[in-house]
Amino acid sequence: MQCVVTGGNVKVLAKAIHSLSRIGDELYVEPQEDGLALRSVNSSRSAYACFLFSPLFFSRYSTPNGHDFRCKMAIKSVQAVFRSLATLEKTVEKCHIELDEHKNKLTFTLHCKHGLLKTHNLSFQDSESLQAVFDKDNCANVFRAQPRVLVDTVVHFAPSLEEVTVSVSDERMWIKNHVEDEAERSKAMLTELCLASDEFDHFAVQAQNSITFCLKELRGLLVFAEATGLPVSIYFDEPGSPVVLSVADSVLEGNFVLATLSDEPSVHKNNSRGTRSAPSPPPDDFMNDDIDSYLIAMDTSVAPEPLTASPPRPPRPSLPDSTCSKRPAAANHRTRTHSDEGKEEDGEEDETVDSDRPPNKKFRSLFFGSVLPPSSQMSTQPMSCQEVLASDSEDESQTD
Amino acid sequence: MKFRAKIVDVACLNHFSRVVTTISKLTKSCVLRLTPDNLFFVMSGKVANGGVSMWCELAQANFFDEYQMEGVSAEDNEICLELTPENLSRALRTLQNAKVLKVKLAKKHCPCLTIAAELPTLSSVGKVVTHTVPVDVIPRRLWHELKEPSMPDFDVSIYLPPLKTMKNVVDRMKNLSNFLVVKANLNGEMNLKIETDLVSVSTHFRDLGNPPWGDDASQDGGPSQSRDPDSMAEARVDIRRLQQFLMGQQINPTKAMCNIVHQKVVHLILLHEDMSLQYFIPAVA
Amino acid sequence: MPLSTQSQIEDEQYVFMASLDNARNISNILKAIAFKDHAVFTATPNGLKVTVEDSKCLQANAFIQVEVFQEFTIKEDVVGFQVNLTVLLDCLNIFGGSTAPGVSTALRICYKGYGYPLTLFLEEGGVVTVCKINTEEPEETIDFEFCSSDVTNKIILQSENLKEAFSELDMTSEVLQFTMSPNQPYFRLSTFGNSGNAHYDYSKDSDMMELFKCTKTQTNRYKMSLLKPSTKALALSCKVSVRTNSRGFLSLQYLIRNDDGQICFVEFYCCPDEDVEED
Repeated sequence: MQCVVTGGNVKVLAKAIHSLSRIGDELYVEPQEDGLALRSVNSSRSAYACFLFSPLFFSRYSTPNGHDFRCKMAIKSVQAVFRSLATLEKTVEKCHIELDEHKNKLTFTLHCKHGLLKTHNLSFQDSESLQAVFDKDNCANVFRAQPRVLVDTVVHFAPSLEEVTVSVSDERMWIKNHVEDEAERSKAMLTELCLASDEFDHFAVQAQNSITFCLKELRGLLVFAEATGLPVSIYFDEPGSPVVLSVADSVLEGNFVLATLSDEPSVHKNNSRGTRSAPSPPPDDFMNDDIDSYLIAMDTSVAPEPLTASPPRPPRPSLPDSTCSKRPAAANHRTRTHSDEGKEEDGEEDETVDSDRPPNKKFRSLFFGSVLPPSSQMSTQPMSCQEVLASDSEDESQTD
Repeated sequence: MKFRAKIVDVACLNHFSRVVTTISKLTKSCVLRLTPDNLFFVMSGKVANGGVSMWCELAQANFFDEYQMEGVSAEDNEICLELTPENLSRALRTLQNAKVLKVKLAKKHCPCLTIAAELPTLSSVGKVVTHTVPVDVIPRRLWHELKEPSMPDFDVSIYLPPLKTMKNVVDRMKNLSNFLVVKANLNGEMNLKIETDLVSVSTHFRDLGNPPWGDDASQDGGPSQSRDPDSMAEARVDIRRLQQFLMGQQINPTKAMCNIVHQKVVHLILLHEDMSLQYFIPAVA
Repeated sequence: MPLSTQSQIEDEQYVFMASLDNARNISNILKAIAFKDHAVFTATPNGLKVTVEDSKCLQANAFIQVEVFQEFTIKEDVVGFQVNLTVLLDCLNIFGGSTAPGVSTALRICYKGYGYPLTLFLEEGGVVTVCKINTEEPEETIDFEFCSSDVTNKIILQSENLKEAFSELDMTSEVLQFTMSPNQPYFRLSTFGNSGNAHYDYSKDSDMMELFKCTKTQTNRYKMSLLKPSTKALALSCKVSVRTNSRGFLSLQYLIRNDDGQICFVEFYCCPDEDVEED
């Protein structure tokens, strides 16, 4: 495979790689007839991302006919090729990428200003095909928003926050931080944000649902979306089945597929469409200025023992909590961030510190027929026409 | 017990946010005490805080457009809440451009302060963000720990130099030593000094001026009147405490002062039109 | 001005005394070589030389010419002492080392001789700081015997291009390899890291190349850990001269312009890590 990227597209490519680095440690490279596919997956296989750059994205793109090849390498080493992201546009005039199967070498050659030539020869490993199987086109809920809307939304959540719960009604979307269990609930700050449907370019809800997924990968995609100004589409069905975040224009497509927490059966039932009242009141009666309607009486003579004393939070009919299956407190966030402190790295803007952590709680592994036969149909359009796998956590070896 | 308040003015919101951020830099946990006229952020000098205590007083009317509260009872018309100021600070920071911000005491799964804001948006409905900060309600029997610390019977009181200059100096001294000696006299002079095996550094500020404390200051016949103006009072403190105070400071006080009780305590005071912050750093041997 | 009130009599006790209006003019240069604590100061009537060494394989020298100082008095031909450079830098920047225009820290450096501390008087906005830094007898510095008659290859280029390379260096590579040649690739920096190798080629015809005088193809490797500290000097510099001699020793000379437009030099000498057979 040989291709050439020029001008502003060098930065787009670099941003895509950067964004993929928020997902996993390895970059899967697969030159296809319909373009260059770059993919990544996290260690627990609960998050997957793929960018497909069409041949038109490149000023030259050639790949040997009738011959499939794919490989993977440490994403860090590819990031290093584009390390000076900020100055990339000013310094790099042309980027030449060559995949040499026989020498097991992926070469990036950057032609820079003042006749400086940077050549990076990266070694790689052969790899199986990495494919997430999902079907975003049949998702019940579909949204599209300008990146700024989503950036302004996630900014309200702490950088350390792991998961958010997104709930939707016909006209609103609520986003709040997901708190594991009651013990954490009384200590953690909760943040809830409500977006009206007209903040979105497209807002279509068929199932009034709540899903919970990791914020980190969304932030990763937003890095790309913001840099390219591309709107982000969100597709999801129900708790437990994956949410798909997409960006696309005429020459590229990016899909981030994230596992969502599976719902507890009882709560799940509450979610069925029939029981839901139509437009939900905004949280906490914000619009209501009548003081007595929301002031509460508290008795201080009782020493505060909120963990045991406080009654469970009454569920709001409009916004079912996805109180998901409990898990032991062992996988606590704090222990994890602590161990990551030492790993601070070269002033890069990304906060990817935890991609090699242990598999993520009860998110189901999303996918993969890990060893999909490289049939040409499949490699041309990996994103479509395959069964939804993620809803079925028992059988992870599905293939077509 | 009820509490609810509202800020509409963006300048007030920014100011309040700066005050809370300053507090959050000084302590991980503190008590928010609410009275009909004032808000207080209080940290008592427990050993766990390195003996440091803090008292920050805000006139509610200068920050809030609406402010309603009912305390525990008519005679004890106060509410005391223990909270993590960093939570409050983060909530306020993300809401800097709110059109309207409301704070209220609520009981959800646990007692909490909710901070709700309507953010500017192109949407017709408006974008609402709600942060819920968990709090612990402090029972009345523990309130005695939260009284305003009395003005120490200081030997020297002096205006502080520009805090930024002082911060620069203390930051560098922190690189060189763990302890710092603060010295001052009634002649407007203050010295900051460190000494180690490798180096001694001493910074001399002059012409700082000494605040005119009236008779109401607890001077017991006024040692300051009889004191030799050139005689230095000094206290050796943990440099981190002083650095913490200077680092987080976002208030731009109209007056900044320091009282020294010789070899006992350094008492720092920041005054702003509508708020005051006092910080007590105990001397170490 | 408190600094100038130092009495004449006191001045006379010092074997070395220098003052300058802007402490940044020396703190910046010293920062560029502050990769080890111990620094040997050598004052001569020509100015001040500060030397820092690492592992007997690397030496960095900062030269601050006498012109940089407003006052420079030396009572002996050579005055030498050794101080902790990290401590000295904290002292020089006691007021924060502000880069704001119109704000500068005035500095007076005094040394009474063997056994005495190095005394600094710093003043900014009427506030005075006095620092007394303990001194030690200077250790002997290495003579790399790098003389200009033995230079095989030499280039001078504007620092801009090289800064990019150094900021992107693959730190998993143990060595940084320099190739200099009258033929292609002319001037090449290479790393050999965990995930592959990288080459940065500088064209001899580039507008960044001010001088290109290579007589023989030479490829030498230098320990990354030794060369990486020179990045600080590179960052401050506007031009850099890269030279190698017949034994494969590397000399990097950085030309640094201070706030007042005066020129100072920082140079690094580095031993080759191993010999690489030329292709």
